Amino acid sequence: MLKIEAQSWCDKSGWRDSGSLMLKLFFWLRYLCKRRIVFLSVAAVALSVSLLIVVASLFTGFIAAFERSAVDAIGDIILAAPSGVTFDKYPELVKRLEQTNIVEAATATLSCEGLLHVGKGNVRGVTVWGIEPGPRARVTKLKDALIRQKQMPGEPSFEVPGMPGKVGGFVGIGMVADPNERTDEYDQKAALESMVGQQVLVTTGTMSQFLDGAGEPKRVLVPFSISDIVFTGVYQLDESLVYVPIKTLQEALYPDEKGSPATSVNIRLRPSVDPEMAVVQIRGLWRVFAEEELGWTTYLTGATRIQTAQEMQHQYVVEIRKQMGVLLLVFGVISFSVVVLVFCIFYMIVRLKRKDVAIMKSCGASSAAVAWIFLGFGITVGIMGAGLGAVLGYLITVNINTIEGWIRATFGLKLWQSSVYMFARIPNVVDWEWALILVGLSIAAAATGALMPAALAARTRPVEVLRYE
Amino acid sequence: MYKLTLIIRYLLKRRITHFAILAVALCVFIVVVVMTIMTGLVEDFKQKNHRFVGDCVVGTDSLVGFPYYEEFMGILKGTNFVEAVSPAVKSYGLLSVRGDNVRRGVEILGIDPVLHARTTDFAQTLHYRAGQPDKAFLPIYDPNALGCVLGIDLALMRSAQGSYVYDDTPMEVAITLTCFPLTAKGAPAKVGAGLVETQHFYYSDHAHTGIAHVDGSCVYIPLEQAQKLCMAGTLQRVNAMHIKLCPDVGLNLGRAKVAALWQEFKRTKADTQDGYLLDAVLVQDWKEYRRAYIAPMEKEQVLLSLMFILVGITTVFIVFVVFYMIVSHKRKDIGVLKSVGTSNISIVALFSGFAFVIGCLGSGVGALAAWLFLSRINWVEGQLFEKFGFQLWDRSIYAIGDIPNHVEFHVLATIVGCAIVSCLIGALFPAYSAARLRPVETLHAGPV
Repeated sequence: MLKIEAQSWCDKSGWRDSGSLMLKLFFWLRYLCKRRIVFLSVAAVALSVSLLIVVASLFTGFIAAFERSAVDAIGDIILAAPSGVTFDKYPELVKRLEQTNIVEAATATLSCEGLLHVGKGNVRGVTVWGIEPGPRARVTKLKDALIRQKQMPGEPSFEVPGMPGKVGGFVGIGMVADPNERTDEYDQKAALESMVGQQVLVTTGTMSQFLDGAGEPKRVLVPFSISDIVFTGVYQLDESLVYVPIKTLQEALYPDEKGSPATSVNIRLRPSVDPEMAVVQIRGLWRVFAEEELGWTTYLTGATRIQTAQEMQHQYVVEIRKQMGVLLLVFGVISFSVVVLVFCIFYMIVRLKRKDVAIMKSCGASSAAVAWIFLGFGITVGIMGAGLGAVLGYLITVNINTIEGWIRATFGLKLWQSSVYMFARIPNVVDWEWALILVGLSIAAAATGALMPAALAARTRPVEVLRYE
Repeated sequence: MYKLTLIIRYLLKRRITHFAILAVALCVFIVVVVMTIMTGLVEDFKQKNHRFVGDCVVGTDSLVGFPYYEEFMGILKGTNFVEAVSPAVKSYGLLSVRGDNVRRGVEILGIDPVLHARTTDFAQTLHYRAGQPDKAFLPIYDPNALGCVLGIDLALMRSAQGSYVYDDTPMEVAITLTCFPLTAKGAPAKVGAGLVETQHFYYSDHAHTGIAHVDGSCVYIPLEQAQKLCMAGTLQRVNAMHIKLCPDVGLNLGRAKVAALWQEFKRTKADTQDGYLLDAVLVQDWKEYRRAYIAPMEKEQVLLSLMFILVGITTVFIVFVVFYMIVSHKRKDIGVLKSVGTSNISIVALFSGFAFVIGCLGSGVGALAAWLFLSRINWVEGQLFEKFGFQLWDRSIYAIGDIPNHVEFHVLATIVGCAIVSCLIGALFPAYSAARLRPVETLHAGPV
């Protein structure tokens, strides 16, 4: 049948016009419908592409979430004094920063390490941040993280509900509650009900300096009542961060100082400002401020860290990207076997269709035209497989949390835990850049697999194939 | 015999089968390398945790701890299945270094170093006092000073190659530890009088367990000092008793025996002062005790194994296609075989045998290549780091040493077995199709 049809086409279309696209399309569709084994190669390409897209998307999603969590917690840029040093007059610095055309908002932080006593036998190491909640909410996503106050109008505050005048503070949810073992989720409502208003105690310390420069650690107690609970979705932050009023911490740590000591300033940039350029500008402003207002030496001014939030995470992001590269390489090498699969299938088709090819050539089709039929078919298989794989990869990635929940419910296996992987939810955004690259590579791989069979078909000699024995 | 002849013939004549062998070899190579490294890392981590806590732990998560531990230690020492017992206080404190305004939260581990060295590998983790646990808290520069041992990452910086720079003697550094001492009821002691206990120590040594969070946050101090800093009350308390079982005692049996003794002991102390604190104490073997740290790594191993199932599927596809092609080309041969009396079962066995041979050859080649690669992997990583600055795992971030490269037989056997099974599955349908061929259809001559 195929020979008669091919003959008919030769007569009608004329093989003189050997680049006939219609004929190629005809043969591609024909082979696709008649040689069902071709669907195997489509399936193999789809499987490989979907796996690689899922891996790439999960990793890039994790990296993006990692960087975003830093920005949400500390702002776009952080200006931090050298370790163990505080700087004074931060309101003036904040005012100067906000007067520039690159800074949208700035706020100071006084930070130290401490021990938090929450309840009976519950003592843990914490990082204490003295902040001004209103300005901080303008620089970071603090308000979104506060369980009680996130839906309330206005700026967040340390006021303890029903306890006016009490010193309030925020604690991370990981310090006052444990996540459900099965679902890895916190009962936020229960945590709020049991902990808001509770009196807790932070112990920390400073170094009281002697005249000879030696220091004696001085312990300091900061009692406060819990006014809200923080849930950022980042395990390490929720397990170890305590927020108290900056003035309370200043009075506790530096009671003799009249100024306003802080250890860092968090900065939010205006939209579309380049963070790298902003760092340079802020560094200039800081240099002037440190020398004029604080009387700092050039060394101390230079030792002040001014970094973007991404720069701070750079070392870890590099490592995560490296692991992503290795995993993609591993699965990419395995996906190379798809090339072998396509080669085998096309080789088989070419061997079976030798007579068809011989007829085509005897009607005037050039070797290049014949080769293009099979190469084009290979590319078509690659496009179909890659398209299907992209759709599958998209569906798996976008629904990864649902799939993880289903695995947990069905097999009792909790694959993702925030205490291990940092975030409460698996990042589920498809990286379309990587998806396009992988789709392109898979089409190229399918074309590569079809190359040799296409060359073989082109070398067919009609006189040898068609002679009657 | 004819099956073997045909298999060898197909192997040598049908060069397409070499692609199937190549694909199987590639998949086996990748899976052996990745699973060997993963398994090695997980096993290494497990063993480090085992050496850190001993065989069995009688302990509580509560920072309040429990009393009457000396009595129970006496009971355990009187048994014939316990080799050594070490009491330990575990709590949190604030560490500050004299002359430095840096403070950080640390985990405090109060131990008797000699007892602890008999139960765990504490003595081997020391540097300046390696093998001398009795001197662990005696600084070399001042044996009269009260010493403490720091986790190595608290004391030293790790380089990108994973090495540390050691001084000949420990630096004379004064350290202050501040804690909340807790009463038996879990409330802070000394209310109105400061609420905290502070003690000065001197850095005497560091401990390198190889466990990242221990080396980065643990401070070892004498047991009595830890009890003074962290526990208030008339009865001395601890948070855990680490137990080393006799070598000929199995882990499960040893744990069960200790648990039975503990239940009996708890019953006798039920009505004593602070006896209720014994209710929160669990008896666990080292795997259960360190489950929170080990489980995530085991889970990653499972996840990777599941992802490699897709590798198996790819192998099945390739073998299927190759055999489909062979059967298509060998229809006349099969027709001839069947016409001389070969049964369908024999035809299936022929192609299954062929798939088995391909699986064995491919697995063999892949396993050999993997073994060769793994035996040189650390050298390759070293060369990449020297010449290109590339390191697969930055040792300043990851607490690993050399990349594990010992191929475990059970891992290899599992992978090879799965590869062979994949080949057999892939060849199943083509073999069945071949068996169903009718000689009269395959052998009839074409039209004149």
